[in-house]
Amino acid sequence: MEIPYIVTPRKDTGLFNSKIAIWLFLASEVMLFGGFFSAYVFLRIGADYPWPERTLPVLPGLINTFVLIGSSVTVVFAWASLKLRQWRRFQIFMGITVACAAIFMVLKGIEYNVKLHHQAVRLKDYTVIEGHLGYEKEDGVEVKDYKGHKIEENQILIEASKLTFSTVRFHKPWVESLMGQAAHHNAEITLTEDIKAITEIGGKEEVIAKAGDKLSPGLLSRIQKAHLAARKSNSVHRTAALREEWKIAKNDSPELKGWQLAGAVSVDPAALAPKLISEISTVGFTVNPPVEFMFRPRDVQEGATQSRLRDDTVIEGKLLESPMIFHHVDAIDFQHLAMKAEQKGIDPISAIDASWLVQNSPFAREAWEWHKGEVAKLEAELLKDYGTDKKGNPKREPTHKDRYRIGWKELVKKVESEGRPKLSGTASLAEEFVGPNYAARGDETFPHFSVPREQIGFASKFTPSWNTYYAIYFTMTGLHGLHVIGGAIVLGYYLFCGKKMYLANPEWLANRVEVGGLFWHFVDLVWIFVFPVLYLM
Amino acid sequence: MSSHDHTLAGHDAHHDDHHHDDHHNPGFIQKYVFSTDHKWIGIQYGITALLFLAFGFYLMMVMRWSIAYPHEPLPSWMSWIFTDGWKARWLQDGKVTGETYNMFGAMHGTIMVFLGIVPLGFGAFGNYVTPLQIGAPDMAFPKLNMMSYWLYLAGGLVMCGSFFLESGAAKSGWTNYSPLAGFADGQVVNQWLSGQTQWLGGLVLLITSSLLGSVNFITTIINLRARGMTWMRLPFFVWAMLVTGFLLLLAFPPLEAAGIMQLMDRVTHSSFFMPSGLFTKSEGLADLSGGGSPLLFQHLFWFLGHPEVYVLLLPSLACVAEIIPVNTRKPLWGYKSMVYSVLVLGFLSFIVWAHHMYMTGMGPVVSTWFQTTTVLISVPSVILLTAMIISLWGGSIRFTMPMIWACAFLPMFGIGGLTGLPLAFNLADLHLHDTYYVIGHFHYVVAPGILFGLFAGIYHWYPKVTGRYMKNSLGHLHFWPSLICMNIIFFPMLVQGMAGFHRRWYNGGDAYLSKAQDSVNVFGNTVVQHIDLNILMSMGAWTLAIAQIPFILNVFLSLKFGKKVENDNPWDATTLEWATPTPPGHGNFTFDPVVYRGPYEYSRPDCEGDFLPQWVEPKAKPAEVKPDPVHDNTPSAH
Repeated sequence: MEIPYIVTPRKDTGLFNSKIAIWLFLASEVMLFGGFFSAYVFLRIGADYPWPERTLPVLPGLINTFVLIGSSVTVVFAWASLKLRQWRRFQIFMGITVACAAIFMVLKGIEYNVKLHHQAVRLKDYTVIEGHLGYEKEDGVEVKDYKGHKIEENQILIEASKLTFSTVRFHKPWVESLMGQAAHHNAEITLTEDIKAITEIGGKEEVIAKAGDKLSPGLLSRIQKAHLAARKSNSVHRTAALREEWKIAKNDSPELKGWQLAGAVSVDPAALAPKLISEISTVGFTVNPPVEFMFRPRDVQEGATQSRLRDDTVIEGKLLESPMIFHHVDAIDFQHLAMKAEQKGIDPISAIDASWLVQNSPFAREAWEWHKGEVAKLEAELLKDYGTDKKGNPKREPTHKDRYRIGWKELVKKVESEGRPKLSGTASLAEEFVGPNYAARGDETFPHFSVPREQIGFASKFTPSWNTYYAIYFTMTGLHGLHVIGGAIVLGYYLFCGKKMYLANPEWLANRVEVGGLFWHFVDLVWIFVFPVLYLM
Repeated sequence: MSSHDHTLAGHDAHHDDHHHDDHHNPGFIQKYVFSTDHKWIGIQYGITALLFLAFGFYLMMVMRWSIAYPHEPLPSWMSWIFTDGWKARWLQDGKVTGETYNMFGAMHGTIMVFLGIVPLGFGAFGNYVTPLQIGAPDMAFPKLNMMSYWLYLAGGLVMCGSFFLESGAAKSGWTNYSPLAGFADGQVVNQWLSGQTQWLGGLVLLITSSLLGSVNFITTIINLRARGMTWMRLPFFVWAMLVTGFLLLLAFPPLEAAGIMQLMDRVTHSSFFMPSGLFTKSEGLADLSGGGSPLLFQHLFWFLGHPEVYVLLLPSLACVAEIIPVNTRKPLWGYKSMVYSVLVLGFLSFIVWAHHMYMTGMGPVVSTWFQTTTVLISVPSVILLTAMIISLWGGSIRFTMPMIWACAFLPMFGIGGLTGLPLAFNLADLHLHDTYYVIGHFHYVVAPGILFGLFAGIYHWYPKVTGRYMKNSLGHLHFWPSLICMNIIFFPMLVQGMAGFHRRWYNGGDAYLSKAQDSVNVFGNTVVQHIDLNILMSMGAWTLAIAQIPFILNVFLSLKFGKKVENDNPWDATTLEWATPTPPGHGNFTFDPVVYRGPYEYSRPDCEGDFLPQWVEPKAKPAEVKPDPVHDNTPSAH
């Protein structure tokens, strides 16, 4: 059996099969990206925070645009070379195409990496601080967690003396982390009381774990097993007892409906009690001596004396000062604060003047005062350049972002205006790709800053969780990146493994390259939309 | 010349998998497991879908117990399937808890729609019948076809596997609305191992599967039609599959986008669908940026959700449209208007989605627009149904088993469609929204409607697939109780719904009873009046389960003991699938099929016999022969 029209087009439709298929597939892709673009519009229109405009580095994005457009041209040349049966030329052009895909992904990777390591925090008064976090140190040496990763200075510190695990669910890696931290401080986590369980009905209570037993996932698993067994056995008995009660109730009053009887049917707890065995649903451990544990903010709901992890582990102990420590602050953003103030009818400038950050950080105060001067200068410049309209209002005014955001370039401008030497051309060009150069710019440009925990409203890296803009940015560019990778793999396959296909049936390979090329054009086209929408608007 | 070219290419196409060639005997695995033959893939789809349907049905039986007898432990005939450990986790003293009910409800909907009906209608019937009806040797992309099946199975298993996780399966309704679905299973530290996340993962697999499927179907229909098979000679079945393919192709991707974004919300803690200031009892103020839009999810979901209704419906409608002309021995009435209707239906189905969202406060302008389009879409639907009813008029009806099911489809689907009209008007919808009326409405469409149509299809094509008829006696034993039970289950829903019964009451309204005694509840009296219907409906549901036993027996027993078909065309039908050997071999046709006429040439006064198949060469009137000038390059058949 052969499927017709694989190589030669059908006459009335004028198409070979895979060409129809790729166009259909692209139609579907249009709907997929259409879904994301409409989500973008929906989110941007409905945003209740200042949408980050022109926040991504344009230069790498622009380079990527040209790289992709170029590769779209070369893929056509590659296809045409095949049509002309010029294998060597095909190899060259296809090679360039695949190389372009690689360049694109490398630039994208750099961009992602910068974002993923950039911290932002929104204070309770909606001031936003951006920068790089430091790492936890002890005696000048960076501390590693039990997995060997450096720990950022954004941890909740709790001096715990007692830990209570839920036997229903405990997250093994977290247990291991607690054990590791305790071991690091030469402390022991031991079982507070004997754990007794009846392992069979009518049997005697047995001690399945003794007080003083050291915490381990194995111990917890053992207790969990007892818990599950007890729960299972109790459930069987409870069900049987309830079923029995219903049988009796229905026999007694067959004329009544279930919902009329429901109130009267119940199991006598005293009669049931002998059949039940205790379900150990929590198990307590003592930490001796009390240890200063570190938790990632998202994992823990902290309280002054009692905190709770997401896996229902209860930590008893004092909550310590847990500031978030920026090693380098590289932007201060009052846009959100100003927006909130405007909504309340308060003058944004005085709201910023009164904000916690400006009140408490001399650096921020100085930067803000300087920035106000810059905005005034900009206003004057715009007035000079564009003049006023008929009503006497200036035609152009500084944007919300101009007014209320002090980005890293402004901070650089400030110190340079104060006489700090400029960076070399190459070094500042590099900054366009990898973000500000903290080492060269120094602490006076990007200072340290410690944010007390109680001031933090919401904190995140520049990841999808920071705001809906970054969410849609990562989702769309990520999905586009996956398309680039997928396309490059297919085209690379034709390049590196295509010789055999070429020798057997060059026309067929040309068809395949045509279809792959159509997909590649689509990938390019998506970027042509993604780039202005996410980078320029 | 081109034909020569093609033969060469064909051999190259198979250079890496020579075993697929029909000159060789493929191994068991290649023939029955990783098969690329559209017929076997269709059967795989069918079997898998029927198993999922049975599972979804079972979930519903448990839910019906909770509704009818909320205070009583689940009886052992229903709960034996669970392990004791599972019962201890998910049942409270043997009773179904609200959480468990939600889980079963969400999974019942998901399984029935995504894993049951669509794969049965589009996957099984579409795969088996479409290439046969257009005279193609297989689908255009057999390997893609196989991949499509395996992705579907993987998606289904991922979704259903989550029943065994600590968190249980998804619990936020089959619509999976955020922010509820964004928060669900938040206690699970590794979010990838929660039922809610796996639901999304499974969904992405299913969407990929249906994307590959629809691309394959449309390409096959466009490019692989036999010589002479012009567009207006296509059986209606094929048209319906073409439209279904386009619906899947274009409507699913926005849901995939929504699914990906919800996945991001769950795994990376983004806020696509999470508004600012979200506060929950368990977690307090959410540790999220906020700023997202829950409404966005609903829009994206229903952009799929509504066309999906037609994805469910069209294959079933297509089966019925094939069965009626065969069994009335007269042409399908209004074939062309049906074709245009189905195209219009497909188009309109993309612009009605927000009628599911009247209660979200979109504003009167938007509501009016969607109300208008919704009423518009009833026009092509009514044309389709009416054309099929008129097709019965004056026919010499043979009440074969498939015809009986098809005849039941017509009024049942009619009830389903007509009960939808009040829901289309947003004024009436204010009252009926989220009540059992809605449940009754769409179950009338899907269960006694669509499912009956698909049963009809099974009885109709079973002889082609197996070479034997299904047993009539068992068929009647299957049909009549099913028809009665379906109405016992779903008609009272309409009544309850108008009395205000909410669709999410896990205890069937029991919680409202105590209020009704001494307070003036809006629903007070009505709940008491109609609550006993719950028991009737549940009894109906369980009886319906028993009524499916004859069907299962029939499918298996007829394989061995069914009456053998007399020839390759046992129903005396006219479409091309009956021109193949029984069962069709790899490559389908033993001759090069050429089509000479439309698909429903029954009882033509000018020829002997009461049917004239599409493939029979006309003898008497040479003028009628229309050799297709553009098809001279048709490949040679072996």
